[in-house]
Amino acid sequence: MKKILFFVLIFSAVKFSAQNKQVLYDFAELPQTLLLNPGAETNYKFHFGLPLMSGLSIDLGSSGAVLTDVFAYDNINVDDKISTLLNNLTTTDFVKFNSQIEVLNGGFRTDTKTYISFGFYNEIDAISYYPKDFFILFTEGNNPHLNKSFSASQLLYKLDVLGVIHAGVSKKINDKLTAGGRFKIYSSALNIESSNNTGTFTTVLGTDNIYKHYFSNININARSSGLFNEDEVIEDSDTYVNNIFFGGNLGIGFDFGATYHINQQLEFSGSVLDLGFINHKKNIKNTTAKGNFIFEGVEFQYDPNNPINYWGQIDSNFRKQLPTAENQESYISWRPVKLNASLKYSFGEIRSKICYDNTYKDFYTDAIGVQLYSIFRLLSPQLALTGFYQKSITHKIHTKVTYTIDDFSYANIGAGLSAQFGKVNLYGMLDNILEYRNLSSANSISLQVGFNVIFN
Amino acid sequence: MKSPTKISLIICFFVFSSCYESLDFNQLKGHVSKPVFSSALTYYTVVPAQFFNAAGIQQNSISDITQFKGFENSYIKDNLVKIDFNAEIKNGFDREVTILVDFLNKNDAVVYSFTPIIVEGGNLNFTFLEEIEIALNKNILNTTKVRISTEIENTGTQMNPADTREFVFKSSVTLFIESSI
Repeated sequence: MKKILFFVLIFSAVKFSAQNKQVLYDFAELPQTLLLNPGAETNYKFHFGLPLMSGLSIDLGSSGAVLTDVFAYDNINVDDKISTLLNNLTTTDFVKFNSQIEVLNGGFRTDTKTYISFGFYNEIDAISYYPKDFFILFTEGNNPHLNKSFSASQLLYKLDVLGVIHAGVSKKINDKLTAGGRFKIYSSALNIESSNNTGTFTTVLGTDNIYKHYFSNININARSSGLFNEDEVIEDSDTYVNNIFFGGNLGIGFDFGATYHINQQLEFSGSVLDLGFINHKKNIKNTTAKGNFIFEGVEFQYDPNNPINYWGQIDSNFRKQLPTAENQESYISWRPVKLNASLKYSFGEIRSKICYDNTYKDFYTDAIGVQLYSIFRLLSPQLALTGFYQKSITHKIHTKVTYTIDDFSYANIGAGLSAQFGKVNLYGMLDNILEYRNLSSANSISLQVGFNVIFN
Repeated sequence: MKSPTKISLIICFFVFSSCYESLDFNQLKGHVSKPVFSSALTYYTVVPAQFFNAAGIQQNSISDITQFKGFENSYIKDNLVKIDFNAEIKNGFDREVTILVDFLNKNDAVVYSFTPIIVEGGNLNFTFLEEIEIALNKNILNTTKVRISTEIENTGTQMNPADTREFVFKSSVTLFIESSI
């Protein structure tokens, strides 16, 4: 009972999150698992993915708000629904979207211990936290919120559209340990982001006048690359597509990973992904605002001999004390680093499968385990904790069921299937299956599908 | 039925039979955002000496004017439905003071005027509220300047220019916005 209470407490206190491929991770020795852990074990001579079809993943979610909150047919006044939604949002709630399309994916074994994999994929990754104070200010105004400090720090967003060319190696060090790494070159087609903003806007009852308005410690920045060309928004979609292929805003990154067999049945694996950055230096447009400003109204002097341009003075002071500026300075954008860790216990029937070197490898038909996933986002790391059960029906057909706790749900059930028909491998995974009962009220959905050709 | 087939069917079931609740996106057309913004406006403190010219003759009226660009903002101009003008006044003078507030357009023509604000002498806690419905007073949106005149009552007795008693004027404006998406 104490244990149960402990876990309830833990799960109540800790909020997990995801942009996670927990079903795909360490599943069925799929080539795509090498993108989640370059130290994953493989058991084939070579593979290639069907171009544009070897890996498609989509992941979208919104914590704190779903479509039905506002758009349901419920005879509730839409103004009331929006008001309720805004009141319920917290500053840590966010909306996110991630998709990856593998354009090319292949790999081959150089010797019995080394597997080289490479490829190219496009990625769109977007996250924006709900700037609750901005919403309240623009929907309710400052009048009902005297003394409230509307914070600019809630302005947090990032959108990346990029192409990634990569090559990695997975090497079996010994019977227990396989380690690997991957080198990536990023080519950003579009980046817009704003983070580390500070400052508040506050209205209080004044002394010399009825109200006094404070803009305090304002330091706001908004960066963009690939969106503007000499102040004109780039509207030609071909430009974005071309920039995915070495468009000028380039970066590098690394993945590391390992799989370690603690004993015959117990296995630990872990990886660090996207440890890298992009140097944005083409088609840059950055905007900044920095300073302090206090406004208490226009103080009339009633001096006919020295007429004063009051508004001009205020405008001039505002621009001096809280200047906004634009620049084209290059900047570095860090990729969101992801961490994976897994502990897997295999059991059940022992079967043999033929390996790339015509030897046979024993494997258990069943496995259970836990996985921890973390991604470093603008505000803080987001976590997801997954328990899983894996079942190999045959040595060609594998299944996996997951139960994940994340920001969106404490009951996120996922399932995956990998099946090989001759040389052709088909896999598909779904996350948050229970939410498919009503997608309109889903906080999060994700899926991955793909086709590979695998030669043992 | 074999297990893989079952699992395949289950996955396919969720993919192809996934449901969604009907949504009414047209609701947003009926949504009206009604923010209320308050801002400090003008303020001043005058003493009797300010009503005397260089020749030492009492002027019964003084006025000052400021530009006002609030209505150049299209969001405000297009969605403003009401303005509340608030004033808090302390009249420490020994006579009545009248405040005249005029809104002028770019040609300095008056587009709106308040009813004169009359504050009795010695009244230190006078408040004033003028509510302006935009639908009935659309001309006020052409305001580019605000002029405030302060007139003292002509009692036949001059004020003492050395008198330190004050007339204090504070004001604010509250804008009621109604905007749809």
